[in-house]
Amino acid sequence: MPRKIVIWVVLAALVVTFVGVLGARMAEGAVLPEIILGPLGLTDALFYLFAAMTFAGAATVALSKNILHSALGLLAALMGTGSLYVFLSADFLAVTQLLVYIGGVLVLILFAVMLTNRITEVKISNASLGLVGGGALLVATVPVLVFVAIATPWATIVPAELAPTTREIGNAFLTRWLLPFELASLVLLATLIGAVVIARKELKQDEPDTSVS
Amino acid sequence: MEQLIGNNLASVAGFRPELVLTFGSIALLVLDLVLRRSRSRRALLAGAAVIVLGLAAVLLAAQSTASTPLFNGMIASDAFATFFKWIFLAAGFLTVLIVAQGDDYPSPRVGEFYGLLLAVVLGMFLMASATNLLTIYMSIELVSMVSYVLAGFRKSDRKAAEASLKYVIYGSVASGVMLFGMSYLYGLLGTFDVLAFAPKIAELSATTGAAGAATKLALVVAVVFVSSGVGYKIASVPWHMWCPDVYEGAPTPFTAFLSVGPKAAGFALALRFFLGSFAGPMGANGMAESIAGIPWPAVIGVLSAVTMTLGNLTAIAQTNLKRLLAYSSIAHAGYTLMGLATLSALGMQGVMIYMLIYLVMNLGAFLVVIVVAEATGSESIFDYSGLVHRHPLAAIAFGIFLFSLTGLPPFAGFTGKWYLFYAVIERASGPAGFWYGALAVVGALNTAVSLYYYARIIRAMFLEAPHVTDRVAPKLGYQLMLGAFSAAILVFGIWWAPIVEWSQRSMVMLRG
Amino acid sequence: MDANQYIALAAFLFGIGLVGVVVKRNMLVVFMCIELMLNAANLTFLAFARRAGNMNGHAIAFFVIAVAAAEAAVGLAIVIAVFRTRGTLNVDEVASLRN
Repeated sequence: MPRKIVIWVVLAALVVTFVGVLGARMAEGAVLPEIILGPLGLTDALFYLFAAMTFAGAATVALSKNILHSALGLLAALMGTGSLYVFLSADFLAVTQLLVYIGGVLVLILFAVMLTNRITEVKISNASLGLVGGGALLVATVPVLVFVAIATPWATIVPAELAPTTREIGNAFLTRWLLPFELASLVLLATLIGAVVIARKELKQDEPDTSVS
Repeated sequence: MEQLIGNNLASVAGFRPELVLTFGSIALLVLDLVLRRSRSRRALLAGAAVIVLGLAAVLLAAQSTASTPLFNGMIASDAFATFFKWIFLAAGFLTVLIVAQGDDYPSPRVGEFYGLLLAVVLGMFLMASATNLLTIYMSIELVSMVSYVLAGFRKSDRKAAEASLKYVIYGSVASGVMLFGMSYLYGLLGTFDVLAFAPKIAELSATTGAAGAATKLALVVAVVFVSSGVGYKIASVPWHMWCPDVYEGAPTPFTAFLSVGPKAAGFALALRFFLGSFAGPMGANGMAESIAGIPWPAVIGVLSAVTMTLGNLTAIAQTNLKRLLAYSSIAHAGYTLMGLATLSALGMQGVMIYMLIYLVMNLGAFLVVIVVAEATGSESIFDYSGLVHRHPLAAIAFGIFLFSLTGLPPFAGFTGKWYLFYAVIERASGPAGFWYGALAVVGALNTAVSLYYYARIIRAMFLEAPHVTDRVAPKLGYQLMLGAFSAAILVFGIWWAPIVEWSQRSMVMLRG
Repeated sequence: MDANQYIALAAFLFGIGLVGVVVKRNMLVVFMCIELMLNAANLTFLAFARRAGNMNGHAIAFFVIAVAAAEAAVGLAIVIAVFRTRGTLNVDEVASLRN
């Protein structure tokens, strides 16, 4: 077990360092160094590394029978996509992904895993049913989507260099996108209240008789 | 940048009802805490909610219906949006009235319910007026998120918790699919502005050869995915699965609200999206053609036929009234989709009229379910036998609502259906007329099927002997509401000119 | 690096998420798969934002992250509520509605 934990910690540290360093350099307007590693450039090699990490993580989420492995797979997938955001010159989003998604959402999910596990001590396995249907869906959607992704001549206007985005996003949120921004705050407020309403202790008069102790 | 800020500031003038709803929603949550120990808490909170909705209505009435983009093109203020905003206000108002009298929401929780309900109404306002993918996404999420909570409000109730869990899962999947479709649309068109879509799509369709084919496929995938968000809100196939479970599990007043409010909001969004961006301008005969040569009308038409058939056929076997009405509401989404499939002015008007009438008749039907459930504690059809002897008013009103839902004259439902069918038949003489004719035939057959299960309830109520003979004495408020709903159905079934004229005036939509 | 590769990766990610939602029976794993779908959409948005040269893709990706956090909060609150009343997270067993 400890060895696994060490591997995960090292992996997480690597990704955080990568995003941090590149994000910081991007803010100064640096471009990726063109280092050639054998047949691939450094950029390409890193892309394939993170793409493989994302893919493997996603596959673990969907295929693993152990819910904890699924959660760790999700961690890998989220970190992988977060790193890819950096290549797309989305430094702000990459950091947000690390902070909110991995720091918030994933921890929340892990809490739920632990919490529901502890209550009954029942091993929550997720034996998969409907595998045929799922396979059919996979065969039906993924080839079409991948074909569309590769074959379509997507609208290309400006082949942008890596550029810092934080200032621009900040300005736009308070000018052009003011309404959706305020709307987001309302969504967050309403769901906060809603989550409290649902999760808080039931009032005395309608105490559930089936409560698990 | 100054210009953008200036536009935002100027837009507030056209945004007053929404602001009232926002602050009213927050004020109600605060008021809920202030009145914690008040004895007349229920009445005061309901009064406050009604005041907020009333204030929003006054400001909405005072607002100009001229077509203007607001907040740098994020939403539009036009007559079309205003029409639907009145439907949402009415749905919210009637739901508050029902909840205030019932015991579905215990007194300590009712303040939170009103506050969150107002947030849903706000979300629906924005859905009806959104003209940018960002606002479309955020408004759908606002409505969905709060609905998840409100559906699972009675959490000691196992059914409610499960219903809300199903709702969350299907909702999140639908919004994920919608987002993915939006991302492809963005890749193809390079913009989020729905009003700017039409020229760009026309441009895209000029590409030919293999690239052109791939582009077309990408466009179809994108739009099919995006429409999943709308399909989920209106409960059309294949996004209908949540509907029966959530309708049965959620507290009945909120079920009633769900069946009319978000459904109307979804149709408003769909009309704006399809007529605004995927249909060319309407010709002199009020008909538009879909641009880029992609057969949207056929896709929507097939969806419509499948949705109504599935809803009606499944409804036949139901014995729980809430489930039955859930399947019936799926079927009604199918009928209304016929209006969307025509891509014509008449079809659009048909959808608007139908949503307005559907509001009254479906809320009425659910109100009867609430009345009976409060008296007998049951939602089963078996407890409706002989209802006419136990509570004549509820039985007669339910009969009126059910006949109206079937679409028989002289009830208002007939008016709505007549306009929808008329729009389809108008198309039947044009190109691809055979398929429109087939759609109309499917619709007519479905109406016949629906008569079968609606009539089953009516037979139980009027012709069968009651199991118990004690009379039911519902609250005066319920009786008044039942009377008012029935009267509205009868009046608008005979004298529909005001509705038709109002919808005619409201067909002006902001265009790019 | 060609943006089409990002989009293809996102398509794979989305497909895996969608299939996971259909196949998996544990609520929490279903939620994780939904997060995968949202991430796929975000990746596509950002890939296109780079090509289109405007910030729209960044804006919606930010909102998606915010909404996903809210969705997780509500969803997990509901999951816990269901678990309290039933003691299971298996979708098949959560079926008292179907009777």
